[in-house]
Amino acid sequence: MLGEKIKKNYKSIVEKFEKKESALISLLYEIQKENNYISDGDISELSSLIDMPYSRIKSVLTFYTMFNQKKTGKYHIQVCRNLSCSMSGARNIINFIKENLKINEHEVSDDGLFSYTTVECLGACGSSPVVMINDTYYENMDEKKLRELIDKLRKE
Amino acid sequence: MKIILEKELFDIKTYITNGGYNAIKKALTMTPQSVIDEVKKSNLRGRGGAGFPTGLKWSFIPKDKSQKYVVCNSDESEPGTFKDREIIHKNPHSIIEGMIIAGYAIGATKGYIYIRGEFVREARIIEKTIYEAKESGYLGKNILNSGFDFDITVVRGAGAYICGEETALLESIEGKQGKPRIKPPFPATKGLFSSPTVINNVETLAAVPYIMIMGGEKYSRIGKEKSSGTKLFSVSGPVNKPGVYEIELGLSFKDFLENYLMGMKDGVKLKAVIVGGSSVPVITADEAMKVNLDYESLSQAGTMLGSGGMIIIGDNQCMVEALYILARFYHHESCGQCTPCREGTGWIYKLLSEILSGKCKEKDIDLLYEIAENMMGRTICPLADALSMPVMSFVKKFRNEFDKHIEGSCEICQR
Amino acid sequence: MPKINVDGKDLIANDGESILNVCERNGIYIPRYCYHPSLSVAGNCRMCLVEIEKMPKLQTACSTIASEGMVVKTDSEKVRKARKDVLEFLLINHPLDCSICDQVGECFLQDYYFTYGLRKSRFKLENKNQKQKRREVGKYLVLDNERCILCTRCVRFSNEVTKTDELFVNSRGDRAFIDISPEKGVTNKYSLNIADICPVGAFTSKDFRFKQRVYMLQTTKSICTLCATGCKINIWHNNNTIYRITPEPNIYTNTWMCDDGRMNYKIVNSSERLTHSMINGTEYNKRQTVKQVFNKLSKAMDDKLRIAVVLSNYLSIEDNISLIYLAKNVLKTPYIFSIESNQQKIEDGILINSDKSPNSNGIKLLVKKYGIKDISEYAEYDIVIGFYEDIKNLRISLVKTILFSYKKSSYPCLIALKTYFETDGSFINWQGYLRKTAKVVNSPENTFDLHHFLMEVSHLFAVYPDFNFKGIIKDLKYKEEGQ
Repeated sequence: MLGEKIKKNYKSIVEKFEKKESALISLLYEIQKENNYISDGDISELSSLIDMPYSRIKSVLTFYTMFNQKKTGKYHIQVCRNLSCSMSGARNIINFIKENLKINEHEVSDDGLFSYTTVECLGACGSSPVVMINDTYYENMDEKKLRELIDKLRKE
Repeated sequence: MKIILEKELFDIKTYITNGGYNAIKKALTMTPQSVIDEVKKSNLRGRGGAGFPTGLKWSFIPKDKSQKYVVCNSDESEPGTFKDREIIHKNPHSIIEGMIIAGYAIGATKGYIYIRGEFVREARIIEKTIYEAKESGYLGKNILNSGFDFDITVVRGAGAYICGEETALLESIEGKQGKPRIKPPFPATKGLFSSPTVINNVETLAAVPYIMIMGGEKYSRIGKEKSSGTKLFSVSGPVNKPGVYEIELGLSFKDFLENYLMGMKDGVKLKAVIVGGSSVPVITADEAMKVNLDYESLSQAGTMLGSGGMIIIGDNQCMVEALYILARFYHHESCGQCTPCREGTGWIYKLLSEILSGKCKEKDIDLLYEIAENMMGRTICPLADALSMPVMSFVKKFRNEFDKHIEGSCEICQR
Repeated sequence: MPKINVDGKDLIANDGESILNVCERNGIYIPRYCYHPSLSVAGNCRMCLVEIEKMPKLQTACSTIASEGMVVKTDSEKVRKARKDVLEFLLINHPLDCSICDQVGECFLQDYYFTYGLRKSRFKLENKNQKQKRREVGKYLVLDNERCILCTRCVRFSNEVTKTDELFVNSRGDRAFIDISPEKGVTNKYSLNIADICPVGAFTSKDFRFKQRVYMLQTTKSICTLCATGCKINIWHNNNTIYRITPEPNIYTNTWMCDDGRMNYKIVNSSERLTHSMINGTEYNKRQTVKQVFNKLSKAMDDKLRIAVVLSNYLSIEDNISLIYLAKNVLKTPYIFSIESNQQKIEDGILINSDKSPNSNGIKLLVKKYGIKDISEYAEYDIVIGFYEDIKNLRISLVKTILFSYKKSSYPCLIALKTYFETDGSFINWQGYLRKTAKVVNSPENTFDLHHFLMEVSHLFAVYPDFNFKGIIKDLKYKEEGQ
């Protein structure tokens, strides 16, 4: 179900663009911000709101990996698994997450706080390993820093 | 020498104090054609990876009065590449000014910046930069009383490397899946919303104001004849000083490694270099020590300058595993439109994971090479080639490591 | 009109024509999956790659426009290798379903494999991608995502032809699969065309599923009689049974056909079928039926009852001519009527006509030739002879009717007819083209060709018709294809 915010704001988002089609990715981000992920029901509602076929919206949703099609934790941890990050210890970071948060890829921790996936190159290879949590980059990560970060996030 | 990254110019005040927005002032006193000619004279080549002459690209735009677009490709997803991010952090106004000049040159009144979805902070910086430029009258209607209008909209990506390909990028801005288009027609005739469009990389556009100020001829004398100007190289791997470097094209790799990157770290020996992003053929340490960092020298050495995303590989990294990681990337990023890439990336990835775990035979390595050959040159866009070239070069130059994995005797991977 | 050279032959292309089309027109076949003449060009299957001189890479023939001086090779070493490789890529994740797949016999993968491939598999079976199979899609389709080669013909059909946007590609890479918009499913009235255009067994017809191998079937060309569009069709049959109907694409009337038209063959064996004439609750064979009707009409004429004959837009020209003859020469009644049809037009922008009868234009011409009155002048009559579908619109007591029908109903006097799958008949469609249905299967023993029935009745009246249908039809003003 679409939240109140997007139902209020969608028109102003669409107006920012020359053609309404260009607003689609932004609209999906808005829905995700409010609802944590984007459901089929959200797509149907959006389809009526902006008069765009369901099939068009769903094809875009499933093509781009930054859209969550199912629930993630409050803090969604994305660990880069590409070459530079792998060479500087991404595997250790992944193992750390698996052992300490007790989750596999795409799973949510029992307290609903954390989930993780591996992702491809985040474009910050010089400060690898790189981890992205929600919208923020954390560079030059190691197990110690990650432990501190997770503890900090837990307390928030 | 440094041009784009000479100073840290975070906001418009600092930018203007250091000569910013003088280039657009100068351009507005010239005819659009003279602006294109100036860029042509500079021999500037596209900095995103393809290296296509920028002035020439701009000259393909028809000279009629139809709607046109300038698109800035800020998708930066090529593994090993993180140079555009540096420009956004340290000199964002140069990108905006470059776009405005491009718009003036080709007769476009609208620009789009397509920025990869993960660059959330960078997108905010760009929005702020656009706002500053608008507030100071460098964007909007009747810029500097010239009668020229130009406006920029930011469109965010959402996690697709393929959207770095020009026509896939346009598809994404048009609200569709990022699937590359058949060419011809090229974007210069039929681009964004079917209008003539110029698409340039962040670094290419950032160089434009400097070319206008110093003059195209002067820029062309920096670097080498066919590789003019400076290039940003983003370096990662076991070197002492990874990071972004702006260097004059033509610098030798040896010089770069020893005096800029300060050599290999922790006693690791240089084994291989991917000079320009994962899509270019890999070169051995010996080969690397003999090349210069410019388009021609690298092309002669059997590789490419590409994006300038340099990945240094030491002897502590197994080449088979490295290739496996890259194959996994291309398999994940293939848009799936055309047969050879969709099926080929999957096949190569699966084959490599078996070679890595020693479940294969000698002939499977030859098969791996053949699949890469069979994908090449037969697809709508070069993503298939971008996997084929690493595969073929890794197998050819590091065959012994693949053989070791067949036997189960790789010391690095311990399998 | 650029001149190009293909495989050594000089050909002339039309302006803007693709290499594939020029070759097709000149009898050179280039293999393809995603290209379809009635859909936009996708260029994604890569099967139509050809060699063009001065171009380092092979180019897709479907998307490359022929230009002056182009030298094309469609069968060189390079091209043959490319086709082999593309086929290999297509087959690595394709399931070994042939033994249970309806597409056998008309499958592009099988056919091209034998012509261009013939390579032993080098891919490990356990690594094959798995996707959803046997998905019910709408009323008539079954979708198997594993068999799909993602040519996107179906998606383009749903976007461009029916404009219903029900199908799309979900996900990317080799995880991509064809998906359906859930709220609608595939509910458009042309869904079975998707099974036709799918080059492999991904989209198949539920109705035809597992019924017969296509190579056991014969095809007979005919026309659809469900509306005034009169699509040209192919009827696929074997052993006196109809298994399916597909359109016969042509530039005059139809590229596609609607789902209702395809299902129309079911009337032949339907439980609703009238297999014997029924008069006052009793079944009669052919001979008895003729006698019964003759008796009724003969008595009516003796009693000087007013008899009306109503022509039908649902019946063939031959049948209607016989009705006119019966009325004028046997019953000698002036009360002959025709029913003007709805305004004829394509009501959905594709093929379905607002006029649901197949022969209104044929009857119009007969009306002109013989001076037939319109039904609006109908008054009260003692006996009405006509086709059952027409009579329900008239205010008339059931007892007074003698009706022709192929469906059972509650009318007291029903003469069992052959359907137009069991006999041939001439029809003129909304565009004015004269076409015939073809007999494809045998009808139930006690059903009539209407014109035969009327002739037999005439004979009992000692009236011997001596006209010939061909001669009469030849004089009518209809259109011919190519005019």
